[in-house]
Amino acid sequence: MAERIGRRRQIAPDPSFAARFEELTRRLSEPQPLAQARARAFARFFELGIPTRRDEAWKFTDVTRAVNRPMRLAEPRPVAVELLAPYRLGGEQAHRLVFLNGRFAPELSDCARLDGRITVTSLAELARTRPELLAHSLDALDDGRSFTALNAALVEDGAWIELAAGSQLAEPLQLLFITSGREEAVMAHPRCILRLGPACALTLIETHVGLGEAAALTNLVVQLSLAEGAFLAHDRLAFAGANQTLLAKLDGELHARSRYCQTTVVVGGALVRTEQELRIEGAEAECLLAGVALPRAHETVDNFVRVHHRAGGSHSDQHFKSIVADRGHHVFAGKIIVHPGAQKTNAYQKNDNLLLGDNAEVDTKPELEIYADDVKCSHGATCSDLDASALFYLRARGLDLETSRALLMHAFAREVIDRLRDESARALAERMVTARLGERAPLLRAEPLEEAS
Amino acid sequence: MTALLEIENLHARVDGKPILKGVSLSIAPGEVHAIMGPNGSGKSTLAFVLAGHEAYEVTDGSIRFGDEDLLAMEPEERAHAGLFLAMQYPVEIPGVGNLYFLRQALNAVRKARGLEEISAAEFLRKAREEARRLGIGEELLKRDLNVGFSGGEKKRNEILQMALLEPRLAVLDETDSGLDIDALRVVAEGVNRMRSPERGFLVITHYQRLLEYIVPDVVHVMVDGRIRRTGGPELARELEARGYEAFVGRLAA
Ligand SMILES: Nc1ncnc2c1ncn2[C@@H]1O[C@H](COP(=O)(O)OP(=O)(O)OP(=O)(O)O)[C@@H](O)[C@H]1O
Ligand SMILES: [Mg+2]
Repeated sequence: MAERIGRRRQIAPDPSFAARFEELTRRLSEPQPLAQARARAFARFFELGIPTRRDEAWKFTDVTRAVNRPMRLAEPRPVAVELLAPYRLGGEQAHRLVFLNGRFAPELSDCARLDGRITVTSLAELARTRPELLAHSLDALDDGRSFTALNAALVEDGAWIELAAGSQLAEPLQLLFITSGREEAVMAHPRCILRLGPACALTLIETHVGLGEAAALTNLVVQLSLAEGAFLAHDRLAFAGANQTLLAKLDGELHARSRYCQTTVVVGGALVRTEQELRIEGAEAECLLAGVALPRAHETVDNFVRVHHRAGGSHSDQHFKSIVADRGHHVFAGKIIVHPGAQKTNAYQKNDNLLLGDNAEVDTKPELEIYADDVKCSHGATCSDLDASALFYLRARGLDLETSRALLMHAFAREVIDRLRDESARALAERMVTARLGERAPLLRAEPLEEAS
Repeated sequence: MTALLEIENLHARVDGKPILKGVSLSIAPGEVHAIMGPNGSGKSTLAFVLAGHEAYEVTDGSIRFGDEDLLAMEPEERAHAGLFLAMQYPVEIPGVGNLYFLRQALNAVRKARGLEEISAAEFLRKAREEARRLGIGEELLKRDLNVGFSGGEKKRNEILQMALLEPRLAVLDETDSGLDIDALRVVAEGVNRMRSPERGFLVITHYQRLLEYIVPDVVHVMVDGRIRRTGGPELARELEARGYEAFVGRLAA
């Protein structure tokens, strides 16, 4: 049986998905254009099926077990405010949208300071007030991926965020997703649509936090567009629960001279798949992606990246890292596509992995596809254990083996953590990484030293 | 009086290849010994064996450090006991701040020696003072450990670590190579400041010049994994004048 499944690119979705879809449409009873868009998406999901490892895009990760089983639509379970406190990032001035199991929770959010520069509407509200707009937006993104279609069919909430031309926000915007379940497996399909007008600037902090031991699937879709000269710093932190699956799809469009800086830190989650497709559509845009993942135990972190250069004179740079322990598994499949005519493109891609132990696994597949001749591109991947001579050097100065190892791992992760734009995001990432690597590596920052001087 | 370091009939190999073939050497507290010898004769190998590098496998012989069996100790335990190796090629460690590391190392060593952790302020004061004496700028202290340091800066940084860790025995593996004349004097002064009746030094070098600044009590010549001759400072001058060629030739004959 398992053999035969393995031979097909897709398998049929569990029948419970159809039941959930009916349940949802009945409950929401939305007007035609939106109901139809959902129905189209759901048909598309069934057509695409659940991808197996035969599907190139899922070559190294078996998603079927985590996803293709009966799950209920998640209810927004209340969460104690204190539990959220450590994850509220961006400082006093930040705008903050909190989602409980995929549903916008206004009572936990901070939207009071929103003004004309930025418009935020929950997707549930948008579905009521402007169903045709949401329908159009759901239709607009068909990337041939099952889970994007499933999201369009089952999305209940999320956010529609627009920045008017020239809006430059000094304070960050945080999207905080809390996933918690009790016993039964639940799923949520939030979607966020973020549009930055010309010459806008924003720091976006996206945080995923898993609470509780129950199995849960969060299937997020984020649609980004950066108009000419816009700037978006995007800090992503994922701390999913041990039995939780996070599928985070990002679809982005970068116009001329826009700049996008994304930094992702993943600590925890049975399966975390970050998938992104970024299209540089205008000249001289910049797209900088960095990430570090620390899977351990039986966790998998799968990072799937496509960067398209469709216009010339642009720069993209990817630096993804992982520290894999126990039976942890990290997948990196990244491709840079330089389309015809995208001359004077600079595009780089690097994947560095630290494998701790014989059972840790890394699959890495950096790729370049170049259809222009005047470009500078490079890609590469490394896999290694901790550097023996560095380890010896530290020990020879008196640090014990465990501390030395933790220090080197921490140093490896730090290069990415340091790129997080928001200070509080950096501090939280640092704490999570330290906790995971063992308390022995005290925080690497030099602040206490500086204060003393 | 017990020796500070007592090496007897030491044999060691790397990758299954014998490198040290019966080294015996005894350093008393307060003494400075120099080891000279042609490239590939095993000087760095001896230094690494002393510091406990696991790539170097000891197949015979013994090393006592004070009253302890050095070979039974982990590298960090050797550091705690007061052994310091200034490496020929100090390792670059990105992501670990130089000052941060120095404080961690100092506190690890102090803790093992039953001393209290040093306060941040006291540490900074000491580190800055030593750094100033060694001509190490503030910028270098703030950089990642050895990353992008010039050859000479790396060597000075090793001496800075030594000065703060206050070892009982310091092994300096070609600390002079790559140094300009002024830096050589600065580093040698750093070493001389630390000379004391309790502390010993094992200085590995190719050049007589260093030994004019750090005047050794004993000079050894290592050839092909053995100490072939031992003498006073005049032996270094003899080598400088005649080279190893005649030496090796005469011995081989
Ligand atoms: N890690 C290693 N792996 C393989 N061979 C090694 C290793 N370390 C040393 N050797 C070999 O052992 C021999 C002695 O090397 P060693 O570095 O001890 O010489 P040395 O006397 O310090 O030379 P130099 O004056 O050039 O520094 C050389 O042939 C060297 O190639
Ligand atoms: Mg050497």
